[in-house]
Amino acid sequence: MITAGIDVGSISTKAVIIEGGRILSAVVIGSGYNARRAGQEALDLALKEAGLQADRIVGIVATGYGRNSVDFAHRTVTEITCHGLGAHFLDPAVRSVIDIGGQDSKAMALNEQGRVREFVMNDKCAAGTGRFLEVMARALEVDLEAFGRLSLKADRPAPISSVCTVFAESEVISLIAAGEKRENIIAGIHAAVAARVTAMARRIALAPPTMMTGGVAKNIGVVKALEERLGHPLHVSEMAQLTGAIGAALIMASSSS
Amino acid sequence: MTQPILLSDAEKERRKIKADDRMREIMAAYYMEAKLPPKERKKKIAWITSGGPVEPLHVMDVIPIYPENYGAMIGASKMGVPLCEKAEEMGYARDLCSYARADIAAAEVQGGPIGGLPEPDMLICCNNICGTVLKWYEVQARRFQVPLFILDTPITHTRFNDDMRRYVQRQVKEYIGFLEEVCGRPFDYDRMAEVGRLSIRGQELWQEILETTVHKPAPMTCFDAFFHLAMIVTLRGTQTAVDYYQMLLAELKERVARGIGMVPNEKYRLVWDNLPIWYRLRWLSNKFMERSACLVADTYTAGWTSWLPLTDRNNFLGFLGESYARIFLNSGTDLMAENIIRIVKKYDAQGVVFHSNRSCKPYSFGQYDIQRIIQQRLGIPTLMIEADMVDERSFSEGQIETRIDAFLETLK
Amino acid sequence: MDPFKRIKEIVADPYAYARTWKKEKGGLVIGHFCSYTPVELIASVGALPFRIFPGKDALSLADAHLQAYCCNPVRGALEEALRGRLDFLEGAAFPHTCDSMMRLSDIWRLNAGFPFHADVILPVKTTGESAAEYSLAVLQRFKKDLERHFKRTLTTEKLGEVLRVYNRIRRGLERLYRLRSEDPFLFGGGGLLALTQAAGFMDPYDLAEEVEGLVERFEKEGPQGRSRVKRLILSGGMCLMPDLFQALEGLGARVVWDDFCTGARYVEGGVEEEGDPLQALSRRYLQRVVCPAKHAGLRSRGEYLMEKVKEHRADGVLLFQLKFCDPHAFDYPYIKGLLDEAGVPHVHLEIEDPHTFGGPLRTRCEAFLEML
Repeated sequence: MITAGIDVGSISTKAVIIEGGRILSAVVIGSGYNARRAGQEALDLALKEAGLQADRIVGIVATGYGRNSVDFAHRTVTEITCHGLGAHFLDPAVRSVIDIGGQDSKAMALNEQGRVREFVMNDKCAAGTGRFLEVMARALEVDLEAFGRLSLKADRPAPISSVCTVFAESEVISLIAAGEKRENIIAGIHAAVAARVTAMARRIALAPPTMMTGGVAKNIGVVKALEERLGHPLHVSEMAQLTGAIGAALIMASSSS
Repeated sequence: MTQPILLSDAEKERRKIKADDRMREIMAAYYMEAKLPPKERKKKIAWITSGGPVEPLHVMDVIPIYPENYGAMIGASKMGVPLCEKAEEMGYARDLCSYARADIAAAEVQGGPIGGLPEPDMLICCNNICGTVLKWYEVQARRFQVPLFILDTPITHTRFNDDMRRYVQRQVKEYIGFLEEVCGRPFDYDRMAEVGRLSIRGQELWQEILETTVHKPAPMTCFDAFFHLAMIVTLRGTQTAVDYYQMLLAELKERVARGIGMVPNEKYRLVWDNLPIWYRLRWLSNKFMERSACLVADTYTAGWTSWLPLTDRNNFLGFLGESYARIFLNSGTDLMAENIIRIVKKYDAQGVVFHSNRSCKPYSFGQYDIQRIIQQRLGIPTLMIEADMVDERSFSEGQIETRIDAFLETLK
Repeated sequence: MDPFKRIKEIVADPYAYARTWKKEKGGLVIGHFCSYTPVELIASVGALPFRIFPGKDALSLADAHLQAYCCNPVRGALEEALRGRLDFLEGAAFPHTCDSMMRLSDIWRLNAGFPFHADVILPVKTTGESAAEYSLAVLQRFKKDLERHFKRTLTTEKLGEVLRVYNRIRRGLERLYRLRSEDPFLFGGGGLLALTQAAGFMDPYDLAEEVEGLVERFEKEGPQGRSRVKRLILSGGMCLMPDLFQALEGLGARVVWDDFCTGARYVEGGVEEEGDPLQALSRRYLQRVVCPAKHAGLRSRGEYLMEKVKEHRADGVLLFQLKFCDPHAFDYPYIKGLLDEAGVPHVHLEIEDPHTFGGPLRTRCEAFLEML
């Protein structure tokens, strides 16, 4: 039985096709302005990659910020539930998830089946999300992709204390003017993100092993900063960004069986 | 615009208040005694709010501990951020008072500069300063499982009436009964009269100390007052406070006699409103000093003299309730504006610096209206600084520096 | 036809209702902000008590008086006054609630320009002799203020009569709450929400009739023990979100109780009808379900919630936290602890204002229900 999961985020849309617990294909594209079109396009690309016709798909589940626009999906499920199941698929030992996306961040406690027991979210404030990193990358005139790599070369993270993104940007600019090394500033930015996310995450009982998901998981600097704050290692899958779509595809698989 | 004045180290040494060291000694001894193990210490510990009626505690030989004072110490030692983060992990919203958050977290992790406060045997909460303390002390009462006494002081929006008077006086009697029960012995009314006299004497001395800055140049600034405040807050009603303040007052009078001002070339005299920004006092002090501006008075430290007109030397206990109920912070916005106007006139100030303190709603809400009232009535410039008293994450140096500079430029 | 249709229409434009009432009855309208306001006294002098909620527009005038770290209900109420939308009011009564509300009283008094202003500084403590004595004194004082402004004497008989009307309202509302708990499909949550909102400003005599009519109708229909649904309890301060109920119902859940200031906290319990009415009124306000801004002991709010969870067999609790609401925020870890200990699923819903049910809030509710 073949099922598909589509995760329409604010910045990127992901589609995954699964059969019998095996990923057949996975696609990531930009979301653009039209969630429905993004969802359709992503699914079409995933079908092409898997060499399948659309009618082979038994069930489609949409998740993410734009899920309600994907009217051709059979079900919509929140990204919270999907990230839990997706993380469980990627590593069944995982008991908690920290997800940092473009616009929000969340933490989830999971049970042995990957179902969410408790969750906490920041969906209001840019600090502690991918948006914060984007703003800082612009201020530093550094490619966001390079952030992780550069931060590993820091000798001393420059402390950035503000909770507010606007204030923090101001701090970064002052640091640049004071001649602080880019690497140290970036490390400081990562530490700030880790501080925000950890403070939120610890409001629920997070038992390790913990997986980090979402686009920001690709940033090794943030991962390390979080690990330091949490005091234990984080599992990061190569498929971190696809976690939500994987979980979505799995939902249809389990409910159809 | 005038060039900033930079002081040499020798100059700074000359202007330093010598009594500071004695203050540190006394406060250290006070905390050390409190942190002795109960068997050695023998005295019970009460945690009490900053506006709480402490005098009866001294009568009962109970050591009063002030979590708010500890909050100030946490702020001054720059330990506020990790403790506030801990409080958020515990589920306390970031928008809550940072004294409360820091204290609740410090109790959990034995945090802060002295490794946590000694555990209380009782909690005394007076809501004359705010409603937050009620909730904060409920939290701590559940945590420590000790008796909690609440002195509920109705707010004087415009008038303090007889119903309020009777309510607070009845509660003072309940307070005495509470202390008798928790301490297991009768209340010594003679000792109360003595402690009352010492309290009034301490407040009178504190008032004289604050009034030395009427002179030009002012022998100290409000930043010095913030430091010396702890004595009248925590040791009000003791001989120690009276002796220390006599010493401090003598030194300040001498500085006045010799024309030693804290700010060299004192040109601008300003009034500060609201709690201090504890983790940036030196930075703020330097910022103003460099531009020859002296913060000669503030509404916060003056708060510990506002009981004076309402106390009765010969019937301290009889007026305890009312004097605690009618502090300036427990009154309407227009009354608070009058308070500032009085201070501006008394100290001949040319401007007011408002700290819009995220942590303190009763003190901060209404500041915009007070600002307008002052501008209309006195025609003097005012500055609004947005920050927080203990949580440094809400302090943006770049933004605040610009505002202070712009304000000082408008003072001619 | 929707049995709550008339109520929903009234609630869609409370200001229009108040203006019409004024024209038809020739009376005055007194605004207030809190369920501790002694509305019975206001109604007894022939005035209409009108609960003021924040508007739905963006704030601008209020910014000149209240910092951004002030909650939306307070800033929004000031905005309504400053924009002149509340010109049908004679003034407002401010019972002592919380720090923000306390400052609103001053700022309102200094800027809003109404002829009537009363600070009703009820005790924060709700137990003990001294608080009881003081509470009664405050009510006596408020009664005198009203008598003076409205130039009429408030007789014991009149007060007794008004107390009985409000008792009818509360009894009726409580009955509807219970019927809904017995059979959550008897009527939608949006209807009862509208009714509790209307209870904040409708003419009490009219409202009592309306409420009793609804009770009669639903008792006749009879609860049918339909139980295949996720039973939820809502907890928090103010909630004025009809879309919330729609969304929850669409997801297979029904609300079976709440502890909202605008809901069950206001509804439960009544006023004794024997003895001195002013004393009875004072007792009611001391003994009613406590608001976090007051003190009724260390555990009473938590115990109330857990009792309701048990009594109404709740499957989960939605904890609403209004941004910048300190009293509720201080209680949250304690309440969360109780729910965790009892193994009751719950979700923390942070809201900026009592009206908006937007995408993020919807997602959290969905995610929570997916968990159950």
